Amino acid sequence: MAKPVVKKKYTLTERVYLIEIIKGLGLTFKHFVFNVKASFRPGPHTVPTCWQYPEDRREIAPIFRGAHMLMLDDQGRIKCVGCGMCAKACPAQCITVKRGKVAEGEESKYVGKTYPEEFVVDLTRCIFCGFCEEACPKGAIVLGPEYELAQYTREECQLTKEGLLANYYKAKEEGKLKPPKKPVPVAASAEPVAKKAAAAKKAAPKKVEAQGAEAKGDAKEAKAKEAEAKKAEKEQKSEG
Amino acid sequence: MNWVIAIIKVVFIWTWCLLWATVMTWAERRGSAMIQDRLGPNRAGPFGLFQPIADGIKLFTKEEFRPKTARKILFNLGPILFAIPAFSAYAVIPFGDKIVIGGKEILLQVADVNIGFLYVLAIGALAVYGIVVGGWGSNNKYSILGGLRSTAQLISYEVPWGLALLAAVFVYGTFDLRQIALEQTGTFLGFLPNWGVFKQPLGFLIFTVAAYAEANRVPFDLPEAESEIVAGYHTEYGGMRLGLYLFGEYVNLYTLSALCVTLYFGAWNLPYIDMSKFLGPISYGIASFVVFWLKVMVFLLSFIWVRWTVPRFRYDQVMRLGWKTLIPLALFNLLITALFIQLTV
Ligand code: SF4
Ligand code: SF4
Repeated sequence: MAKPVVKKKYTLTERVYLIEIIKGLGLTFKHFVFNVKASFRPGPHTVPTCWQYPEDRREIAPIFRGAHMLMLDDQGRIKCVGCGMCAKACPAQCITVKRGKVAEGEESKYVGKTYPEEFVVDLTRCIFCGFCEEACPKGAIVLGPEYELAQYTREECQLTKEGLLANYYKAKEEGKLKPPKKPVPVAASAEPVAKKAAAAKKAAPKKVEAQGAEAKGDAKEAKAKEAEAKKAEKEQKSEG
Repeated sequence: MNWVIAIIKVVFIWTWCLLWATVMTWAERRGSAMIQDRLGPNRAGPFGLFQPIADGIKLFTKEEFRPKTARKILFNLGPILFAIPAFSAYAVIPFGDKIVIGGKEILLQVADVNIGFLYVLAIGALAVYGIVVGGWGSNNKYSILGGLRSTAQLISYEVPWGLALLAAVFVYGTFDLRQIALEQTGTFLGFLPNWGVFKQPLGFLIFTVAAYAEANRVPFDLPEAESEIVAGYHTEYGGMRLGLYLFGEYVNLYTLSALCVTLYFGAWNLPYIDMSKFLGPISYGIASFVVFWLKVMVFLLSFIWVRWTVPRFRYDQVMRLGWKTLIPLALFNLLITALFIQLTV
């Protein structure tokens, strides 16, 4: 049943409206002052709610799923056997796999007896659903943390075997091969950015920083940071 | 010699208005961004200050598109009809006191006419033709709706506006804007600056509200309400024609702010300080100009500030506010003012 609309009785000041407007102006002015102050902070990350992308990258969540990787096992062998299950499962039909027999003397490179001679993921069509990952009997294709996929031509968007392996090596280097078992809160991973900014800061814009951190929802850390900064100040004074 | 000075003054004040209209577009975008926790355009030049230039280049080089069914003449005429009153309204508003160069006294005002007041009112009312003609010529239902809304709104708000100004005329006893400015020196009741706002607080309020409606600014921007009628009267416009509309709007704002400063905030007079006493003739002229301009800037920025604070009114709310609140209030204000003047003079 629909909820009946209850008309709110307005008080006199609310009916006059002008006073409410002035209150509203006060609110927007607070935001204005805060953001203007914040925009003079050093570093690309100035206004707390804005990430100025190329210079200032936001930490993505560790469970983020982006471009695919072709996995290797502990001995550095390609896990994929070229069975084509992923291509079958893909709702966007963007995977092309061509199976080939492993040649003599190349057994150390592949896990199975067959291998993917050709493996192309068409990223212009992929919807990043992860079905390929689920379908694969060998756990050979996994969606990785790579998300900067913009290219100038369509051809560059075809992720070939080399690209897939490159994604794997990159993720391995960064230790992002496997998503964590438990979800990690995003705020914690965004911490390094805030710390960098805090290090470059003098006494004046400290408040801004604290407020910025609060906006992100970790008031405790902000307080701790402020306390730290105060300590540092005292030490400086005693030195001088 | 006189006409050379006149031309210099005209060119100067045009460029000045245009310059600040341009800067206003930047201030509007960055200011709104700051209010809404964004950054705004900050890539073109320092603080994004060259953004208006980039916008201008874009508007100039864009294709001049005209819809097939549009009435050609009216469609082309609309922006022009809108821009001309906007650019000519400033003619009678002073932008400073006077400057003495080589023994020659130059008034910092393009034309010191004794009915300056009426001129501003008349020209201001003309601007609506640009909107209606543009809306009609576009041959598009949203544009026509925008144009009609603009007309209805202007008719409604012209009345309280005029009544508020009438009360101001009662106080000053003249239509001459320069004379009005000169009258606002010294103090009022011994401790307040002798500014119109202290003699006409209610009048000032009504004037400001009606000025927002006249300038089609939020919360009265119904002629171009994006969420209701696409973009209102300039739905079909692009390129420099749209540029003229947008520019005219900002020039209008400048004129309205200047009028408000002249009438209610002592024009170029500083409170309690008489600049002409201790400044030389030339530096006094420049100082009065700067003071006036700073006051205008305050009002211009408040236009932006209000725009990003208050949401748009519903159409019936606008009409109700105009006819049922502002007009009675303005009449009341007129009555009080008249009584007061009768009793004291
Ligand atoms: S993520 Fe989905 S759409 Fe993309 S390749 Fe895998 S199955 Fe196809
Ligand atoms: S990635 Fe997995 S499902 Fe796809 S071809 Fe290789 S082994 Fe088969």
